[in-house]
Amino acid sequence: MTISAAASPARDLLAKNIVFFGGKGGVGKTTAAASFAVAAADKTRQCLIVSTDPAHSLSDIFDANIKDTETPLTGNLTALEIDPDNAARTHIATVKEHMKTLVHPRLFGEIDRQLDLARYTPGATEAALLEQVADVMAMAGKKYDLVIFDTAPSGHTVRLLSLPEVMGAWIDGLLKHRARSSRLGSVLGKFKNERNTGDDLSLIDTTTSHDPRSLEGRIDSLLSVRRRKFILARDQLRDDTVTAFVLVINPDRLSILEGRDVVTTLGQFDMSVNSLVINRVLTDDTAASGSFIDARRSQEQTYLDQIEHDFSGLPKIIVPLKAQDIHGLDALRKLGEELIAG
Amino acid sequence: MTNVRSNNFVELLREFYTAPYRGAVARARRDEDDLFMLFVFAELMGVPNPATYYTLELQPLLLERFHEWHTRMGLEHSPLDHFRCC
Repeated sequence: MTISAAASPARDLLAKNIVFFGGKGGVGKTTAAASFAVAAADKTRQCLIVSTDPAHSLSDIFDANIKDTETPLTGNLTALEIDPDNAARTHIATVKEHMKTLVHPRLFGEIDRQLDLARYTPGATEAALLEQVADVMAMAGKKYDLVIFDTAPSGHTVRLLSLPEVMGAWIDGLLKHRARSSRLGSVLGKFKNERNTGDDLSLIDTTTSHDPRSLEGRIDSLLSVRRRKFILARDQLRDDTVTAFVLVINPDRLSILEGRDVVTTLGQFDMSVNSLVINRVLTDDTAASGSFIDARRSQEQTYLDQIEHDFSGLPKIIVPLKAQDIHGLDALRKLGEELIAG
Repeated sequence: MTNVRSNNFVELLREFYTAPYRGAVARARRDEDDLFMLFVFAELMGVPNPATYYTLELQPLLLERFHEWHTRMGLEHSPLDHFRCC
């Protein structure tokens, strides 16, 4: 392993509470994330590794049966494969139960049909995923010292990381209207002077007179709980003492181009890439030769130069191409130690 | 006796001066609440709502206001299949 930056960039990552591993599909995000997690857990840090990719591969790389609940792997290492479909199902089932307490039983069938469709509306799965990611992030620095995210390919992840901002703003908007309405309500209360005069607009107040405080209160508290969650997640994402983003690329054209987009887009949301893992490099130490390998090596050199140029200033970790696939705790530990050794 | 009469007079004055404002404030509040209803039920009426998943859970809470709202919005019958309030 060669480290091109002076200090060990991966060691800096150990000081964070949240580390995202992202990059184009197939560059080795899961391998990098999992080996880093094993090594960090060995350094007596309580670690949680979380996969947000709908096509999970944590179970495969750890040779373990990881579920959508926190699954302990070793003393310090816990893994989780988020299942947003399942979360959306649970969320909608809760709403259904709630609605059924309010409408006539003959409408139960219609409620079921309509809300089952709601589960397939665009964005439902994404919203459920965001909710779960925010919940997991809230555990960082508390239940777990370090939460490591093995993310879905970059476009998906950049979108996910921008959501707390968007959703937070949207809910802020809703709460603003609620606040204005309640201010007007209290002004109205003063005018009324405890008397119902029966004017043409008294209906507005009688419609909420069943139990106004509890209804208004419940609406506001539901909205506020969501908002708090998103604001917390957004603040964590923006705080580079808490969160780090590791971009994984290969020495090839497409992953470099996509990597550049990730840096730009994250920048738009006040987030920056902290370090770069260049995976599967034919280094000079790689015990391989022959005219084909030599041609490939010189091609890669062009890309490595380009990476140096495109991502100048970013700490870089070079992971050589291995003869064998990496899976299982022992292999991951070995790679992880190389990764943070520096 | 005179005290009661002056109380009534104060009451009348208060009513005289506040009545027009009361109507305006009540209307402003109703507009805010209507807009909020529209946000919550937007998606089901064909208006894209980025947070449908999160506002869905508010729908049961707003059910009792729903009928009043859709009639005021000029829809004689509920536009939603699962909210057949009328």
